[in-house]
Amino acid sequence: MSTETIKNAAASADILNVEDERRIDLAHHALLLLVACALGLISNWVATKVDPMVALPGMAFLYAMSIAGLLLAKFVPFYLPSVAWISLVAILVTIPGVPGSAIIVEQVGKLNFLALATPALAYGGLALTQNEFQIARTSGWKIVVVAICVMFGTYMGSVVVADVTLKLFE
Amino acid sequence: MAQTTLARFGGVGLHLFVLGIVVVAESIGLIRIPIGIAAVILLPILYAFAMGIILNPNIMKGTRRVLSGNATKVAGTMIAISIMPFIAKFGTTVGPQIQKVIETGPALVLQEIGNLGTILIAFPVAVFLLKMGREAIGATYSIDREPNLALIADKYGLNSPEGAGAMGVYATGTIIGTFIFAIMPPLIHSLGIFDVRSLAMSCGVGSGSMLAACTGGLVSAAPADKDTILALAAASNILTYATGLYAGVFVALPLTEWLYRISRGEKTSSISQEARS
Repeated sequence: MSTETIKNAAASADILNVEDERRIDLAHHALLLLVACALGLISNWVATKVDPMVALPGMAFLYAMSIAGLLLAKFVPFYLPSVAWISLVAILVTIPGVPGSAIIVEQVGKLNFLALATPALAYGGLALTQNEFQIARTSGWKIVVVAICVMFGTYMGSVVVADVTLKLFE
Repeated sequence: MAQTTLARFGGVGLHLFVLGIVVVAESIGLIRIPIGIAAVILLPILYAFAMGIILNPNIMKGTRRVLSGNATKVAGTMIAISIMPFIAKFGTTVGPQIQKVIETGPALVLQEIGNLGTILIAFPVAVFLLKMGREAIGATYSIDREPNLALIADKYGLNSPEGAGAMGVYATGTIIGTFIFAIMPPLIHSLGIFDVRSLAMSCGVGSGSMLAACTGGLVSAAPADKDTILALAAASNILTYATGLYAGVFVALPLTEWLYRISRGEKTSSISQEARS
């Protein structure tokens, strides 16, 4: 029973590719983040023709926010994923009136948001495991139909509730 | 030492592959395919993902020789890391718009409940139309991204019917989710029924790539509202990160379980047996 549970947990960790965010090797992640930021600068360069050297200060700010988020996820005693911490830090430092916010907004403005997602999607395609292809193949067409309904339902549910609420409060 | 360090980075090959993919994808740029009054919008992130799949060592045998053995695993870690600057950039769009975001506060909070719309639409399709067993619970209770999947793994184990359903939607969503979320929102926008703010704040479903695709598509459909779209999408995504797991534990999963029980009545056991065989 317990070995079964452990096996399941290991399998799920493997499939999910998740790491315990409290145990991550921060130095290692900081280096990988540098690689990611370099790729982001090149992606932004090709997409917007903004010279990487011009966009570098903005990227340095994003790097600092990411590291701050990772640190908070590691050391704050309640759980929030690091991406949530990174978002919160990024919001706080760009609120008008916060010291330095104008400079940060100006510098990160040189980076196109969508170009920054391109490296992640490239890694995403390369990261798909044999297991995931296998699951998609064996789950069959029914799961594909259901998955599309799930995505449509999740999105449309929010759209309808948001729309009704916006109209009620205005 | 140098070799082990390099191995931990998945080899130089992996990152060079990504560099190549990124340059090609961004060179192609955005493509609009008009269909009637609406348009299907193809984004560089879609080409990047597609090229990644084509070059995936599990698909193309040739790339196995160039990529080191753990490249797929390191690539998995790199998704989480390379999405961080993107998430940070997204956050910086909220600060300057904070007043506007707060004004839409009630809608922003309530639309999180709208994520339960998956149960409303996908559950009946799975249970009544496709006659699925308990797989339907795992498959339809949420959008089945990582935290949702972890919850199913914890509660039922991934080898259970519920786990199989969740894994199926997870894998399918991973492979086609970006495409769906790039194409669907601009089409809905073109109906002219919904406020673009509603469409934007619904983009936050708890997946970085779906968020990118959704906002990318919306911004190209309504470029004048770019700042608002980004800020609201970012804000809702943070809310989903923060509330998604709890909504699953306390609302979505119990609700789906209950719906399954009443829709199957006393036949529950025979159905689940059928599903297991």
